[in-house]
Amino acid sequence: MLAVTKLFNESENMTAIPVSDTRTWLRSVAERRDRHAFEQLYGYFAPKIKGYMLRQGADDASADDLAQETMVQIWRKANHYDPQKAAVSTWVFRVARNLQIDRMRKLKFYEVALNTEASSTLENLQHNEQLEHRTDTDKLRKLIGELPEEQMEVVQLAFFEGLSHSEVSCRLSIPVGTVKSRLRLAFGKLKIGMGEKI
Amino acid sequence: MKINHHADDATIMAYAAGTVSEGFSLLLTAHMEVCSHCRERMSLASDLGGELLCEVEPARMSQEGLSNVLSAIEADIIDPVTPFKSPSASSDMASVLMEYVPRGLDELPWQRLMPGIRQYQLTGVESGNGSVRLLSISPGIRIPHHTHLGGELTLVIEGAYEDEIGHFKAGDLADLDASCNHQPVAVGNKPCICLIATDDKLRFTGLLSRMVQPLIGI
Ligand SMILES: [Zn+2]
Repeated sequence: MLAVTKLFNESENMTAIPVSDTRTWLRSVAERRDRHAFEQLYGYFAPKIKGYMLRQGADDASADDLAQETMVQIWRKANHYDPQKAAVSTWVFRVARNLQIDRMRKLKFYEVALNTEASSTLENLQHNEQLEHRTDTDKLRKLIGELPEEQMEVVQLAFFEGLSHSEVSCRLSIPVGTVKSRLRLAFGKLKIGMGEKI
Repeated sequence: MKINHHADDATIMAYAAGTVSEGFSLLLTAHMEVCSHCRERMSLASDLGGELLCEVEPARMSQEGLSNVLSAIEADIIDPVTPFKSPSASSDMASVLMEYVPRGLDELPWQRLMPGIRQYQLTGVESGNGSVRLLSISPGIRIPHHTHLGGELTLVIEGAYEDEIGHFKAGDLADLDASCNHQPVAVGNKPCICLIATDDKLRFTGLLSRMVQPLIGI
């Protein structure tokens, strides 16, 4: 166990792990309750989740606890993950975000199931790998990278620092309307770039 | 269900980022149970969150982090399965609202606000300085003039209303911000029942709003 822990500490900053690996790990966790695959997921995601919790204003110890707790939930809920509906990172983000809202903001957070076919998830994991999200995430990452700085700034304040539109407006000393229009412009670029009719 | 009015992109992004109030998340969930258009945009905004998470600066986990997590999952007696709630097909009422309106709209202890307007405040939804309430507006009745200094979401549950923006019927969502100044009027032959959530960052500072607020509370 110690050797494994050490290995992951050293690889913490390695971010170039292919998306397909995280999906394979999560699939092994869901199907076989594979501890080794889970440790790989931990090595990849736990430091990022902790980074996210720190940005949301948690102190180091709380951020560590919240990252640990998120990983426990990932283990417990792995069989709900549906690769057809979302990338692994999307699913992990939702688990981390919901925990952050519950523990740090002490609020309930209602969310519609984006994957409505939860009962068939294991089957999907086994048979629909060709419908993987790798291309989509690569494309999305590129589009995000191309967002103008002032749009990226408001996106990051919302997603990382948990600021509402009016709080972003105060932080940047710009009108709420400007915050919203920057968000709309950014989202519009992503929608068009992803070719969605939405 | 054909839905014509939706959540704004900026609202969808705030929802995905998790920065909306509890009341907003309740109302948006109720809308998305019937609206695939908003659900798809929510998926994209969540993908954005996932990508941003992948790019966040990682923070070194504590030495005992992994062993803590492994001990916790080993302590699981059986693997708990917590199924996602799936939308209910048996009722017109969004399943997320059933918790608050278990016996249907007719059985609620409606409170009369003024002739033709009744309200029911949802209890147990944390909404800070804002509120989450149901309004029942009789046909032909106009809501008194009011402005929004923060955000306000309105979801039509039954019946329909019209305002300067358009015609809103069951399932439609009005996503209004401060710049909007509207006077909805219930139309059709039965009361228009709406779920209305106001932002928890809402501040009533204007004279008009201060006068209207005690009257109607929105
Ligand atoms: Zn919609």
